[in-house]
Amino acid sequence: MSQTTVGKARASKPPSPWKPAKQPRKANNPNAVPSLNGRWGYMFIAPFFVMFLIFGLAPIIYSIYIAFFNWDALGTQEFIGLANFSELFIDTRFWNALINTLDIWLLSTIPMLIMSIGLAAVLHNPALRGSTFFRTILLVPNITSVLAIAIVFGQLFGRDFGMVNIIIGALGFEHIDFVQGTTSSHVAIASMIVWRWTGYNALIFLAAMLAIPNELYESASLDGAGKFKQFIYVTLPSLRNTITFVLIVGTIGGLQVFAEPLILGGSFNGGDSGQFSTLTLFLFEQAFVAYKWGYAASIGIMITVIVAIVSVINFYITRKIAGDGR
Amino acid sequence: MSKKLMSLKAAALLASATLTMGVLGFISPAAAVVDCTKATANTNDCTVLTVNTFGDVIQPALVADYRKLRPDIKLSIKKSDLDALNGTGLFTQCAAGGAGNPDIAAVEISYSGFWRSYPQCFVDLRNLRNKDNKSANDIKKDYLPWRWEHGVGYNDSVIGIPTDVGGLEVAYRWDLFKKVGLPYKRDEVSKAWSTWPKFIEFGKKYVAKLTAAQKKANVGFIDNVGTIYPAVMNQGTEKYYRNNGTDQGQLIYKTNKQVKLAFDTTVAASNAKIGTRIGQFSSDWNVGMTKGTFAAMLAPAWMTSYIKGQSPTTKGKWDIASAPGGGGNMGGSQLTIPKGSKNQQEAWNFISWYLAPAQQLKVFEIYGLFPSTPSLYTNKAITVEKDPFFNNAPVGQIYATGVKKLKPIFEGKLQRCIDMAMGSAISLVANGKEKVPAKAFATGMAAAGKCK
Repeated sequence: MSQTTVGKARASKPPSPWKPAKQPRKANNPNAVPSLNGRWGYMFIAPFFVMFLIFGLAPIIYSIYIAFFNWDALGTQEFIGLANFSELFIDTRFWNALINTLDIWLLSTIPMLIMSIGLAAVLHNPALRGSTFFRTILLVPNITSVLAIAIVFGQLFGRDFGMVNIIIGALGFEHIDFVQGTTSSHVAIASMIVWRWTGYNALIFLAAMLAIPNELYESASLDGAGKFKQFIYVTLPSLRNTITFVLIVGTIGGLQVFAEPLILGGSFNGGDSGQFSTLTLFLFEQAFVAYKWGYAASIGIMITVIVAIVSVINFYITRKIAGDGR
Repeated sequence: MSKKLMSLKAAALLASATLTMGVLGFISPAAAVVDCTKATANTNDCTVLTVNTFGDVIQPALVADYRKLRPDIKLSIKKSDLDALNGTGLFTQCAAGGAGNPDIAAVEISYSGFWRSYPQCFVDLRNLRNKDNKSANDIKKDYLPWRWEHGVGYNDSVIGIPTDVGGLEVAYRWDLFKKVGLPYKRDEVSKAWSTWPKFIEFGKKYVAKLTAAQKKANVGFIDNVGTIYPAVMNQGTEKYYRNNGTDQGQLIYKTNKQVKLAFDTTVAASNAKIGTRIGQFSSDWNVGMTKGTFAAMLAPAWMTSYIKGQSPTTKGKWDIASAPGGGGNMGGSQLTIPKGSKNQQEAWNFISWYLAPAQQLKVFEIYGLFPSTPSLYTNKAITVEKDPFFNNAPVGQIYATGVKKLKPIFEGKLQRCIDMAMGSAISLVANGKEKVPAKAFATGMAAAGKCK
């Protein structure tokens, strides 16, 4: 009995679970499974897209719209065309904020990248004991509230009684007024970003390193490459895509740095002479201190454009740095 | 063991109490004694009043008092550390048509000029009546006239009731003054710096006596010269705007001599190098207060409690003298009922109780915030009180004399923006980035011109 069934089934080509046979979609076909690629699929992805439309796309479109107006958000809207943008291009505060932001971004990204790849390489070492513990610890700065970080770092960098300056003083140098100086304040802010993101990125790099096939290292060592050369010629090129990813995500975040300078200066102007005013801080100041929402919206659009430009540049530079791949 | 028993007992008591309350509530809701501060209370009998505030505008001791007075009210208080964040919340909620607004919102004084232009964001307090049948019009006479104006919209509607007043005097370290051989008794000091130029001279004398080591450690006379600018501005009769009855006010900052005077005075103080250039409320400032990094600071009344809390070890070493140029104001808030409040009646009951003279007196006694109700200025608690922390200075008397001198100053729509522009201009000189004060002033004026 059972034999005949098997034989029968064999004769009529068994349906493979991996390659579902094309079945005509008929309402009366009892075997018809609703395809996930069909209408049902849209329903499953709908929650994200509905949320994105309401909280993502709609505000973006609205902010593009109000960028053409002079508006304080409560009074009447006055259409002024592109005047916000033309004013923005000659606004020294905008260029100052842009330069500050890029400077802080460079000061934070490069050390962070080097340190996180280094940390990942250390964690990648199989001889390291308790690696799970260290991997967990690396995430702690990242889950700490950015406000708490900014407050603590603000105290560390205090001019008279900050710990950093106490050390500088003990070494026999003059105290540095971190907040008042331009470069020094950027260093202070960058150090907060580095502290917060190095561990997180190290884990991403570690994951990428674990995915590199061992054979590559074996054949490299057969060719006489030492640990360092293996790192340069095997590990780094394999991390190319990850570096691009980390850089692009870092660019999006780094060009929107906000809480750190806000807490460091305690106000929206980014230091007495705007020495560490950033693009987002400038945007916020224009919206909530000057009540120029149209102008603030135009700054927001410019931030988007700048992030896009920098990301594209990043993309090509990392391709070059990490080798052409093939 | 006994602890466990106790808590069991307490739980049983609580449960039976809740049960009784529930039953009573069912029979006659009016007679029920509910305690809405307890999680077990029957929430149907409770009115939840949401309050958005910042800093120490709403004081816990008085909230406890109100709970006893009105156990059926549950005060849900949200506190921002920065008045700015509190302000932006109110702003976006009004832009959204009042959605999500709290029942009560505290508004810092520097925002009052802006909100004055948009009274439609608030409930007109003239139209509400508390349990004594009093509206804002009926209690107006209780408050300092110039302080009351901060809560009045351009269309004469009353949008906020004043909390404390930040009357401005100078707190100084008499022990440090004495050490360098300067006058240190409060009457002598007040006389010695009766005007701002004299104040700067006084500071120069102090700085000249500092040792090289002290100078290297950035020790100075006053904490931050930037505080002089708003102080001088508030001593005038007009700031950046003149009241012309419109929602915005008329801009007069370009011609108002008070602006130039305040700018020049601050720049003079900066050039005299009497300040330590520490940012107020920074960690250096907090520590410096104890270590004597600065010997004087402009101190609104609320600052006295801050000093006490921040540097308890300096008790008795501080004293208070009159501010140069006579009085001034820094800080203070209004309590408002934003549009969209769901419990306007109860909100008004609370505000009119909380800011009544009796409660303001209690706030002064516990927290040192100075009342905005002049009837208290002759009260013994204020006239007689001597503060041992401030070398037994008659703190209340000194502040009362100062705030009574002030006249109403019109606060205009974009005042914060202009203030910020001028502050940056002063910093240009203070940081040595601009040597010519007149050029910095022009820069400030140009930046202020963008506030529109």
